Amino acid sequence: MDISQDYFSCYGLPCDFAVDLAVLRQSHRRLQQQHHPDRFVSQSDSEQRRAVQITAYLNQAYATLLEPLKRGIYLLQLQGMDPLAPNNTQMPMDFLLQQIELRESLEDMPRAQDPEAEIDVMASRLQLQASQLENEFAQAYGSSDFEIAEKTVRKLQFIVKLQQQLDALEGALLD
Amino acid sequence: MALLQIAEPGQSAKPHQRKLAVGIDLGTTHSLVASVRSGQAETLPNSRGEHLLPSVVRYLADELPQVGVKAQAHLVDDAANTVMSVKRLMGRGIEDVKRLGENMPYLFEACDQGMPLINTVSGLKSPVQVSADILRALVQRGESSLGGELVGAVITVPAYFDDAQRQATKDAAQLAGIQVLRLLNEPTAAAVAYGLEQDQQEHGTIAVFDLGGGTFDISILRMEQGVFEVLATGGDSALGGDDFDHALAEWMHQERQIPAKLDLAQQRFLLRLARAGKELLSDLQSTQLSFEGWPGTEAYADLELTREQMNLLLDPIIGKAIRATKRTLRDAKVTPDDVARIVMVGGSTRSLRVQERVAELFQQQLLTDIDPDRVVALGAARQADVLAGNQSGEELLLLDVLPLSLGLETMGGLVERVIDRNTPIPVARAQEFTTYQDGQTAMSIHVLQGERELVQDCRSLSRFELRGIPAMTAGAAKIRVTFQVDADGLLEVSARELTSGVAASVQVKPSYGLSDVQIADMIKASWTNVEDDRSARSLREQQVEADRLVEAVTMALAEDGERLLTSQEQQAIVKQMEQLVLARNGQDHHAIAKQIEVMAKASDAYAAMRMDDSIKRALAGKSVDQL
Repeated sequence: MDISQDYFSCYGLPCDFAVDLAVLRQSHRRLQQQHHPDRFVSQSDSEQRRAVQITAYLNQAYATLLEPLKRGIYLLQLQGMDPLAPNNTQMPMDFLLQQIELRESLEDMPRAQDPEAEIDVMASRLQLQASQLENEFAQAYGSSDFEIAEKTVRKLQFIVKLQQQLDALEGALLD
Repeated sequence: MALLQIAEPGQSAKPHQRKLAVGIDLGTTHSLVASVRSGQAETLPNSRGEHLLPSVVRYLADELPQVGVKAQAHLVDDAANTVMSVKRLMGRGIEDVKRLGENMPYLFEACDQGMPLINTVSGLKSPVQVSADILRALVQRGESSLGGELVGAVITVPAYFDDAQRQATKDAAQLAGIQVLRLLNEPTAAAVAYGLEQDQQEHGTIAVFDLGGGTFDISILRMEQGVFEVLATGGDSALGGDDFDHALAEWMHQERQIPAKLDLAQQRFLLRLARAGKELLSDLQSTQLSFEGWPGTEAYADLELTREQMNLLLDPIIGKAIRATKRTLRDAKVTPDDVARIVMVGGSTRSLRVQERVAELFQQQLLTDIDPDRVVALGAARQADVLAGNQSGEELLLLDVLPLSLGLETMGGLVERVIDRNTPIPVARAQEFTTYQDGQTAMSIHVLQGERELVQDCRSLSRFELRGIPAMTAGAAKIRVTFQVDADGLLEVSARELTSGVAASVQVKPSYGLSDVQIADMIKASWTNVEDDRSARSLREQQVEADRLVEAVTMALAEDGERLLTSQEQQAIVKQMEQLVLARNGQDHHAIAKQIEVMAKASDAYAAMRMDDSIKRALAGKSVDQL
C-alpha cells in the first residue's frame, strides 16, 4: 500500500469532484479489512506500526473524500493551490452582506417564538445554497477554471460553518 | 469435497492449533474473564463456580495479596489495606483523587509523576499495580480453565476513558505479564457479543445503551458485512443506577420527615432500603418500605412506594441519559428511526423504567437476552478469538473512534483542537506552529484532551519542551507537532522544527502513565517478589515434611526402639533428629531438605528392621494354611 499516492488513486476513483459514495465506502471497508492493525496483532512491531500508518492515512483519505467541502479543497490543493491561506480573504460584497444577515438571524433564533421551525427553515435554505455551490464548483473544476472553483469553495466554507453553528444551536435547544 | 471441511461456526478447522486468548472486562465493582470455546463465547468461573470476580484487592504484610471474594470480606475490618473501585483512580492525578477519594479510607501519597499511591501494609501501591493484581487473578483463572498459556487478552475500557486512563490500563496488563491484543471500548464489545454481524440484513445501525452504577455510555455503530464502525460515542461519566438509589432515599427522607443530619449508618440504611424497594418493584406495582431496624433510637412508620411514584423519581435521571442519547444520535447523523438494534448493557438497564423509556425513544424492542453484566466480557472474548487468529474467512472487524478531542495549549490559556472527537482511529494529524519571539530556541508543548475551550477545563495529558530550535526571527521557525492515535486509542505526540534541517523531536507518553523504565522496574520487583513468595512456600513445605518425619521416628522409637536397636544406634538416630529439628526451626528450606535426607538415610536400616520384624510377628505361630 503506497501512502504517498493521492486519495482518489488509493480508492481507484477518478480524480474528480463527483464521487460515487457507495464505491468509496465499499473500497474503504475492503482496504480497512486488509490493512487494519487488528490483522497484524501477532506480527512484528514494525509491521504493526506500518498498519497504524496505513489505516491513519486511509481514515484521512476517507474523511476528505466523503465531505464535498474537504474534497473540493483537496482537489485544488492537488492543483498546487491553497484555498485556506489566511491572506486569501477577499469575498464579494453581496455574499458578505448575506452572510452577516444569516448570522444575525441565527443569533436571534433562541429567542424566537418557535425556534425549531426557524431552525428547519434556515437548515433547508443553507442546504440549498450548499448544493448550488457544489454544482458551481463541479462545473468550474470540470472546465479547469480553478480560480472560480477556489472562490466557490471558499463560499462553501462559510455555508458549512453556518450549518455547524445551526447544528450546535439545535443541540443546545433540544437538550 | 466441501462436506469434509465442515466445522462448527466460528471454530477453527484444526482445533489443536487453536490459540488461547481471553476477553477481560476489568470493571469498577467486578471483573470477568471470558473465552470462545467450541465456537461459543462464555465467561469462565472459578473452582467454586463463581463468574464475577469482585474487583477488590487486599494487601497483606508477608503474603501474596488476596483478590476477589476473600478480599471483599475484609472491606470493613481491614479497610486501609483492602482496595476497591480502583478503576476510578486509573490514570488520575493526586488532585483528582483527593476529590474522588473523600469517601475512600486509604492513605494516599503522591509520587513524582503526580500519580497517587495507596499506603498499605505491603508497601505503596499504585492504581496500576492494584489493577495488575486483579488482572493476574483473571489470567490465572483463564489459564487453568483453558489448560494452557494465553497468547493474550482483549481488555475492555469505557468509551469515555481518556488517554491517561487507557495508558494506565495497558500498563497494568504489562505489569501482570499479559499481552494486550487490543483495548476495546465496552459498548463496542457488547455489540459484538450479540453477533449482530451474522444478521440476515447486510447492514444496519446499532445503538448500545450502557447504564452502570455510576456511569452512562451511549454508542452508535454501523454494521456492514462484518465490519462494525463506531459512528459516535457519548454519555455522562457521573450518571448511573446509584443516582436512582439516592433519589429514592432522598424521597423517603422527606416523606418520613427524618431530621436532616444522618450518620453514615443511617445513610447506608436508607440507600439499602431504596435499592431493595427498586428491585421489588420490577415485579410488583407497589411495596411497603419498612424502617424496622433503623440505626439509632427512632423508628419510622412503613412507607408505601408505588411504581408510579418511583417512575416520577427516576424519570429526571433517565431523562438525562435519553438527552445524551439524542445528542449522540445527532453526532452520528442518524435519527432514532434509523436504528435497527438496541443493545442494553450494565446492571441498571434491568430497571423496567429504563427499558420503557429507551423503547419509547426508539419505538422498538430492545436486546436484553444476554446478561447485561456479562455481555461486555463475552464480546471481548469474541474479539480476542479473532485477533488471536482463530477465525478464518469472513472476519469481524471493529473500527472505533476517538472518544474525546485532542488539542494543544495556545496563547491565553486556550485549547486548539488538533483531532476532533468521534474521528475514526488510527489517526495521525499534524499542526504547524511558529515562534513568537526573535531568537526563541525552545517551545513548550502542552497536550490536552477534552471538549472545552479553556486549558483549565480540559485534562492535561502531557507537557514537554522542544529545545534546540536554531535562533531565528519571530515567526520564521516552523514547528510541526504530530499527534498519532493507534487502534487502542493511545496517543503519541512528536514535535519537529522543519526549516533549519536541524530536526529536533521528542516522543511523549501521558504524564499519569508510567515510564517504560518504571514499568521495567516494577516487573523486576514483581519477579523478586515471586522469588520471595516461592521460597516462603518451599520453607513451609519442608517444615511440614520435617515435622512428619520427626513424629514418625519418635513414635517408632517409643514402640520398638529398645527391642530392635542397640543403645548406640538409638542415640545416633536421636542425635540426627535433633539436627533436623534445629534446621526445621530456621528459615533456610535448603538446610531443612538436606537434614531430612540425612535423617531418612540414618533411619533407613531401622525402618527395614521394623518391616522384617512386623512380618515375622505376623507370621509367628501360624501355619501355612492359615495365611
